[in-house]
Amino acid sequence: MLGLAAFWVLSAPRPLTAADLPAHTADIANGEKLYNAAGCRSCHKAAADLKDADPNLPAGGTALKTPVGTLYPPNLTPDTETGIGAWSDLDFVNAVQRGISNGGGHYIPAFPYTSYAAMRTEDVLDIRAYLATLPAVKSPPRAAAIPLAFIVRRGIGLWKWIGLDTARWQPDPARSETWNRGSYLVTGPGHCAECHTPRTIFMSRDDRKAFQGGPHPEGVGKVPSLRDLIGRGRYKDAKDIASALQFGEIMGYDKVSSGGMGQVQSNISKLPETDIAAIGEYLASLK
Amino acid sequence: MKSGIFLKTLTGGAVILGLSVSLAFASADDAIKGRQGCMKAHGASMGVMVPMIKGEKPYDNTAIQATLMAEDGACADWAKWWGADTQKGETVETFAKPEIWTDAAGFEAAGGAWYKAYQAVKASADEAGFKAVFPALGAGCQGCHEKFRRPKG
Repeated sequence: MLGLAAFWVLSAPRPLTAADLPAHTADIANGEKLYNAAGCRSCHKAAADLKDADPNLPAGGTALKTPVGTLYPPNLTPDTETGIGAWSDLDFVNAVQRGISNGGGHYIPAFPYTSYAAMRTEDVLDIRAYLATLPAVKSPPRAAAIPLAFIVRRGIGLWKWIGLDTARWQPDPARSETWNRGSYLVTGPGHCAECHTPRTIFMSRDDRKAFQGGPHPEGVGKVPSLRDLIGRGRYKDAKDIASALQFGEIMGYDKVSSGGMGQVQSNISKLPETDIAAIGEYLASLK
Repeated sequence: MKSGIFLKTLTGGAVILGLSVSLAFASADDAIKGRQGCMKAHGASMGVMVPMIKGEKPYDNTAIQATLMAEDGACADWAKWWGADTQKGETVETFAKPEIWTDAAGFEAAGGAWYKAYQAVKASADEAGFKAVFPALGAGCQGCHEKFRRPKG
């Protein structure tokens, strides 16, 4: 009984409160940039059976296979019934940075809030403001197929004690401004480490082995290491890395299209060139 | 002698069986090697053309036509390389995803999109024309790799 009570207390969601939200005037253009950097659309893709929905909108409903079961990432368009139109800013920030749903439950960390937690909250609010400008699509939530869903979801509350680091990204004053921009984009919105960093036996990111690569989350093959990309002959220089992210196979960079990276690359290609160059500079510095 | 005929039949059968088994194995490996040779030729062509697109090298249609010709040669047997028995090699590793065979129509369409772009590049005769059609070729590579090639390792 005591164990159950402890489980219940320790696994309870610990949401942010209104006092944690900064006073902020939303910047929609910045929100669009970060929406692309964060790759929201790749998982929240409009389901194929939503006939009237623009397939580019994050209307959700497309199946996402994960180690715990099949999820159907929800509708991010501002529809008030089936999307996030009725959400408050606090609801949105709690979802994105703490993995806590509007109903107060835990999200499965296939939703990379473990990286988004490092973002500036202002940037998260800007994404929210950008999403609010999109056309509303009716796309009702679809139930996830997770065995023992109740226990798993509640258990995630426990997992968050080790798996969710709520510290914000910090700049390195010894480095250039562009390096820091790249570091921020890679660490926070880009959530690159979610796949390119291996996990511990507790399935939390093993940040001591940051960017060393690891098993592919879909089960087959490996996610390559991002360390020493130049020394290992993968790319010529920082500019070459940026070019790969900007153009992908259009310029013959054939390493960035398999295993889901093609979608990542196409999202990154929508960023301003300066941001892509910053990511290249940062990645080139990983040893 | 009855047993002699039986023995001969048995030996003959075993030889035929062994032969056909080894043939089947050889053909999966050969098909995979053929595919990989063709892909390497694609890569080599990209290596010739991309620097021209980026402006690192001057436009040179003779070099483009030569590399595409070599690619044609390396890929001539393409249609023979995708039998259902080539999903896995005996000694050669393949990165082909099962979707190639479960979504044959999708694979066909992705290959078709690439081939159309390839023909357009081949038909281009000046720098402006080449630069206009080239992006679709790379996108054609991606269209196939994204869905039908698994990550290495």
